[in-house]
Amino acid sequence: MKLTRREFSAGLAAGLAAPALMRSAWAQGATIKIGMCVPVTGPAAEQGLWAQNGAKLALAAVNKAGGVLGKQVELVIEDDQTTNPGIVLAFSKLAAQSDIVAFLGSIRSTQVQAMAPDVIKVGKPVMIGGTNPDLTHSGNPWLFRFRPNDNYSGRVIADFGVNTLGKKKWAIVHSTDAFGTAGGKALTEALTKLGAPPVLDQGYANQSQDFTPVVLAVKQSGADVLGTYFTFENDLGIFARQLRQLGVNIPWVGSPSVVAVSSTKLAGPALFGTYGVADFAEDSSDAAKAFGKAYRDAYKTAPDNQSAWPYDAITILSAAINKAGSTDPNKIRDAILATQKFAGAEGEYNFDKNGDGLHGYNVVKNDKGKIVYDKHIDFND
Amino acid sequence: MDLVLQLLFTGIGIGAVYALVALGFVLIFRATNVVNFAQGEFSMVAAYLMVVFSVDLGWPYWLSFLIALAGMALFGVIFNLGVYYPLRNRTYLPVIIATIGASILLSNSVLAIYGPQPQVLQGWFDTPGIQLGPVYLDSQYLLIIAVTILLVLFNFWFFEKTLLGKKLQATSQDKEMASLLGISVSTMIMITFIYSAVLGGLAGILVAPVLFVSIQMGSTIALKAFAATIIGGFGDVAGAIVGGLALGVIETFGAAYVSVPYKDGFAFLVLIAFLVFRPQGIFGERVAEKA
Repeated sequence: MKLTRREFSAGLAAGLAAPALMRSAWAQGATIKIGMCVPVTGPAAEQGLWAQNGAKLALAAVNKAGGVLGKQVELVIEDDQTTNPGIVLAFSKLAAQSDIVAFLGSIRSTQVQAMAPDVIKVGKPVMIGGTNPDLTHSGNPWLFRFRPNDNYSGRVIADFGVNTLGKKKWAIVHSTDAFGTAGGKALTEALTKLGAPPVLDQGYANQSQDFTPVVLAVKQSGADVLGTYFTFENDLGIFARQLRQLGVNIPWVGSPSVVAVSSTKLAGPALFGTYGVADFAEDSSDAAKAFGKAYRDAYKTAPDNQSAWPYDAITILSAAINKAGSTDPNKIRDAILATQKFAGAEGEYNFDKNGDGLHGYNVVKNDKGKIVYDKHIDFND
Repeated sequence: MDLVLQLLFTGIGIGAVYALVALGFVLIFRATNVVNFAQGEFSMVAAYLMVVFSVDLGWPYWLSFLIALAGMALFGVIFNLGVYYPLRNRTYLPVIIATIGASILLSNSVLAIYGPQPQVLQGWFDTPGIQLGPVYLDSQYLLIIAVTILLVLFNFWFFEKTLLGKKLQATSQDKEMASLLGISVSTMIMITFIYSAVLGGLAGILVAPVLFVSIQMGSTIALKAFAATIIGGFGDVAGAIVGGLALGVIETFGAAYVSVPYKDGFAFLVLIAFLVFRPQGIFGERVAEKA
């Protein structure tokens, strides 16, 4: 048999297209698809991997328990390159696949902000981990948060310092970037409400090589407790060491970076005895312990908030779709918002009308280099 | 008064760091008339070498230190052959761009190998510091200040009293004349790059226990060191030292008495003031004589 060029081309085209066509035909009814925008490349690639681990762990559990609406759930991962343009591109690629019913967005607030306008256009639920309060408070009905927002960290730091430690003379040290300024402001407001307005509110610029002036200001303020919002662990490490060297040993309650693994490693003994707020603490609840065990069994390493929130997001989203009985975006939305008293790895989820699932933080302590759970503080409003 | 003394010590300590890196800038500028924008990355690379030898491989500190400096000497050779030498007959612009390219390549290569998390490097001494009356003296800063003083003396002796130093000076003043006198210009430039890489590396290793080892550690110091070089008078060894120390002290006092968030602002305000009122820097006249 002699093959003409035209026949050959047609055959080639059919051959190339067939697997894709078959796959899409097979996929159409066979699975429920969830899209995930996550850093596969870029500076947060490592954290991106942990997020995927968390999501996949939950996915395996959901599928083992029978899946969603009688079908297996499939995760479609797209690289956001740890950049704002990257996540916009990744989300639009995923959104173009009409059979994806819901999405996981980023843990980074700026990236969520970048994709937010497209989220409204697409009109399907997106689970997020970014903690800027505005994300769920600017009229976007499709964002659902699986970590406590930053308003709560300031309130928890203030509540713990004033009511548990009994300290009222506060010095606040915060970065002058968006995160640090907002955090410092939230803490000041919370302290003022508790009748203990700070005696010092000291900002600093990121990547300072020396904190002597800041430490001396804390020392001179006569404060008996320190509250901090540090963005970068190396800044925190330098500050902590200089603080101890210059003889300041007052109690210290800080934002999550104080109890981050890398800060603990960098600052060593200078951070012993400090308290920090953390959205994930393995010993905080039975659900967190169960997640911790499953994660260790699967990946042979300790889990953290990077993997805890996608785990909760997949679990709650799957339960919500099952409860909705349909993949209609509005029905899924209602089912997520109706989720109450759900024990997740990050805490107890009680979704409010804004789409915030969590309303408090764990307080953990650096006990000679080991991070131990101290108490959980939740707010009802 | 206690406060002033404490701030002065810290200012001089951090200023000495700027001075060490500024010295590397000046040496290469004098030899090649080009600003090496990868100078900060020299410090960063050396600090990571230290982490590899002393932390990852667990070798003794002094041995790791010597090997890291030897590694930096080799690095200087490679940098010269890879970045400067192929462009040596072009104008200064392609060379400057090449050093910027090298800086990006270096920091991203280290990022790819080591990841973004900062690393810890122990200091030389077991005691973190000593309390002298009301002032706390950090032992690593004391070491940095001592090394800076020694290097000033060494540089003076090397450039003024040894034949090699005089050959280097001759090359930096007039390459054509130097080569007419039988000095191998390319060898002298090679030696300058080696010396500069070792100096930058030394600064990186000394400062690493204080600032931690991170990808950005070089670029943040180098920016200040660059300002220090301009304040001191570009191309002048003493100027780099004085400029560095002055910058460290000014920004520390500015932060303490005026505003902490604008600490970096003071450094650059001083820089702008110098560029406007005394562009040749503190020791500028000697540069003018040279030209």
